[in-house]
Amino acid sequence: MKRSTFIALLSAMSLSVMGVGPRAHTAPGPVHKKTTIALLPKKKGLPYFTTCAKGAEEAAKELDVELIYDGPTDGSPEKAASMIDRWALKGVDVIAVSPNDPDVLGQAMKKARAKGVKVLTWDADAAKDTREFLVNQATAKDIGFALVDAMAKDLGGENASGKVAIITATLTAANQNEWMKHMKERLAKYPKLELIATKPCNEDQRLAFSTAQDLMKAHPDLKGIFGISSVAFPGAAEAVKQAGKSGTVLVTGLGTPNDMKAYVKDGTVKSVILWNTVDLGYLTIHAAHALAGGTLKPGATELTAGRLGTKKIDGDQILLGDILVFTKDNIDSFDF
Amino acid sequence: MATGPDAHARLLPAAITLRATPRGRLWLIAALLALIFAGISIASPAFASPANIRDILVNISPVIIVACGMTILIISGEIDVSVGSLLGLLGALMGLCSSPTHANLPLAAVIAITLAAGAALGLLNGLLVVLGRVPSIITTLGAMTILRGATELLMAGSWITDLPASLRYLGTGTPLGIPVCLWAALIAVILSLLFLRATRPGLWTYAVGGNLHAAHLARVPTHTTRLLAFTLLGLLTGLAALVSIPQQSVIESGIGVGFELSVITAVVVGGASIRGGSGGILGTLLAAILLGSVRTGLIFINLGDSAVYWERAIQGAFILAAVLSDVLTRQDSARQTA
Amino acid sequence: MRPAPRTNSRVYECLLAALMSILLALAWWLDPDFVAPATQLALSNHIVELALVAIPMTLIIVTGGIDLSVGSTMALSSVVMGLAFDAGAPFPLVCISALLTGTLAGLLNGLFIARLSIHPLIVTLATLAAYRGLAEGLSKGRPFSGFPEGFLAIGSGDWLQVPILVWLLLLLLLLSALIIRRTTIGLWIYAAGGSQTAAHYSGVPVAQLRLALYTLAGAAAGLAAIFFAARFNTAKADVGAGLELSVITAVVLGGTSIFGGRGTLLGAMLGVAIIHEIGQLVSWKWDQQELVQVVTGSILVLAVLVHNIFSRRTH
Repeated sequence: MKRSTFIALLSAMSLSVMGVGPRAHTAPGPVHKKTTIALLPKKKGLPYFTTCAKGAEEAAKELDVELIYDGPTDGSPEKAASMIDRWALKGVDVIAVSPNDPDVLGQAMKKARAKGVKVLTWDADAAKDTREFLVNQATAKDIGFALVDAMAKDLGGENASGKVAIITATLTAANQNEWMKHMKERLAKYPKLELIATKPCNEDQRLAFSTAQDLMKAHPDLKGIFGISSVAFPGAAEAVKQAGKSGTVLVTGLGTPNDMKAYVKDGTVKSVILWNTVDLGYLTIHAAHALAGGTLKPGATELTAGRLGTKKIDGDQILLGDILVFTKDNIDSFDF
Repeated sequence: MATGPDAHARLLPAAITLRATPRGRLWLIAALLALIFAGISIASPAFASPANIRDILVNISPVIIVACGMTILIISGEIDVSVGSLLGLLGALMGLCSSPTHANLPLAAVIAITLAAGAALGLLNGLLVVLGRVPSIITTLGAMTILRGATELLMAGSWITDLPASLRYLGTGTPLGIPVCLWAALIAVILSLLFLRATRPGLWTYAVGGNLHAAHLARVPTHTTRLLAFTLLGLLTGLAALVSIPQQSVIESGIGVGFELSVITAVVVGGASIRGGSGGILGTLLAAILLGSVRTGLIFINLGDSAVYWERAIQGAFILAAVLSDVLTRQDSARQTA
Repeated sequence: MRPAPRTNSRVYECLLAALMSILLALAWWLDPDFVAPATQLALSNHIVELALVAIPMTLIIVTGGIDLSVGSTMALSSVVMGLAFDAGAPFPLVCISALLTGTLAGLLNGLFIARLSIHPLIVTLATLAAYRGLAEGLSKGRPFSGFPEGFLAIGSGDWLQVPILVWLLLLLLLLSALIIRRTTIGLWIYAAGGSQTAAHYSGVPVAQLRLALYTLAGAAAGLAAIFFAARFNTAKADVGAGLELSVITAVVLGGTSIFGGRGTLLGAMLGVAIIHEIGQLVSWKWDQQELVQVVTGSILVLAVLVHNIFSRRTH
């Protein structure tokens, strides 16, 4: 019995530290000398976001701000929400969120704003009342349309015809589902392009590879595959290449030029869709800094962003610029 | 406790009995496999083509290789849920060692390092279990998160895309017309089969898993046997990494997520007892091929637009059915030990 | 069968409590802001699902079983809840549908395990895939959102500075502890974990007990789906992915023996708290999720290892 009393005491002690203990340091800390900006990717560890972080670091050095770059390594939106909560409690000045699931992150973002933290979204958007600005490289619609247009162009333009398939991340991936909605919308413009299958690869390159193999065998007249997740694209491209169908089955998707260069050069992939990710990270930090300093306010129409010069603001969206299409001709001039 | 010389004599024959997978179980899985092939081929003849069968085997080969080691480990009464993370870590290690922009080591060195690292990490798990007396599920649950975190740290957010041709050959080469990974799977299957059937440590494995205490009393080197099982599994995971990861052009930090589930499912559906002491390589091999065929088969039978959402449910139902059918066929269903 | 004296768990709980105190002291030293009550209370909302499912999981593991399907059960409940909400059912009914789905899913596990005596690891490995698949199939991958404001207020609100969901969790915890301490059920659970055959012959209704516990785990997963919906305004098929591993890690870190017979709810909750605090502290201080993984895994293995060395000395 003595032991259990001891435990009860110990747990009470730990609880008291956690909960009802001495109220030291509860007052918001002294004013930060440096502005602190937290940059949250959808999933840490992907080259796409790593290159964004590179641009962000560059901007942080220029502006002399403290940059925190962290995100869930498994892409879990719940973990991301917990990180937003933590940063808000820690008292960072700005949180820039690339929401993996806007519904799940919305509550945490609203809570952070209520605490006085400035919140903006980048890379993907969330509900308007959860953030102040969106640093926008492309809307889901732009991406969906660009993917279909690139495939159609490579398959013969307006009259492009043939069977195509999509390999997506997971069936529940919020972003991909949004892109696919717009892809289907755009496919209507090309009546002879027939979407025959949408398969998940569960963010597993091997599964994307074997799914692409199976699709080609089950549909020998397949003309194109969209690989719309980070690993679906190289996985599908490799399957086409190993089947010796480079050029007859086209693969298109989103990817960084460095990761896809080899496939573009050997003709398996004709177009890679993306934007300048380094610039996206760079612009996001400039926007966050301006937001914290008060120079960026609702209603602004322009933002000066270091080496990128002046960027246009459309409503509450800061625009990065056009979607880039990397092809054999231009891919060597990009290094990220 | 009765531990006289008489007890030794009585325990010895009982402890060392080889309890391979029951014949009925093997036939059951084989029959299911035949059924699937027949059924799907009617709907889509391309399914039973040699090219497709080869692809199914190539895709399932890493599962087969690692499942051989897992079968041995599960027979010994232990389990390892960290093989997926280990595969990821070894992939990263292999990539960093071979890539021209990183260490740029020759192929032989890369192979040696990968296999050695796999075996060493397997042994480490084993040491914690055997000498540290940390239950294997806990040790390997910890290893699973540690190794995945280590992989992320090692890769530092980028991918390795410049794998040298020599390494890619391990993934895409076809000596004598058969892919390297199938040769590797063949060797893994034959050696594990021989290990369990024809060597003393193999016999010990069954003894240790059947009754650890009895095996100990019967002078079976229980420590060595279990350490060997963990090390073998690590080594085979290294082999699987070498022949499967270079099939792809990109090495990323997410390789092997969920892999342990496929491996353990294959072993369990293949008839090995999760309590240890019984099971065999053939059952595991057939089960792995069965599970791989189900997945591929689902793509061949075009079930319509929304069918894709039901694929995982169908796979799950299939595993459940396989397990249930086992209950209906097995003889010693009353065996219940904690 | 390894001897598992009951007193061991007391020693181990002290060890955990000490570890927790050291951890908090370390946190205080690293950054006093982190251990401030406001911070800790606000962050405590993130453990509710984990802690909730840890209650039945502890009891199941004590009886020598395991349930790998809790994350998938949570997803299935979440999707049914979303579908019911989408169909315009009255809100209490929406919540009941989630709870009922979880309960039924758990009951099915229990039937396979207790009636057909298939090993729980195998049954729940199969339903881990099947329930997740069912959730994906029923929802077609679509998330459900737009739950009523009052419901969301429960998820994000607090009372006396403690999140409402944490109050609910404490209430359930107290209730479970009372049942285990004051009724024969508690005795049965530990008896069944020691040796099922022996327990059976001494009149413990082992089969019914196991059936009830797996059903309870399903119900808890269903409730976790409701908690999740209240916190994130979302019901979808990928909630609870990997929940089973975090829960088992916490329970096992909390001193529950994976071989059964030993373990307490207090220990499990300490396990949950330690994993939560480590994760939060490492993130708070270093903002590197990769490091969180490495540290959490190491603590799990080290805690059990240290305990083994410690208990070997006392023998």
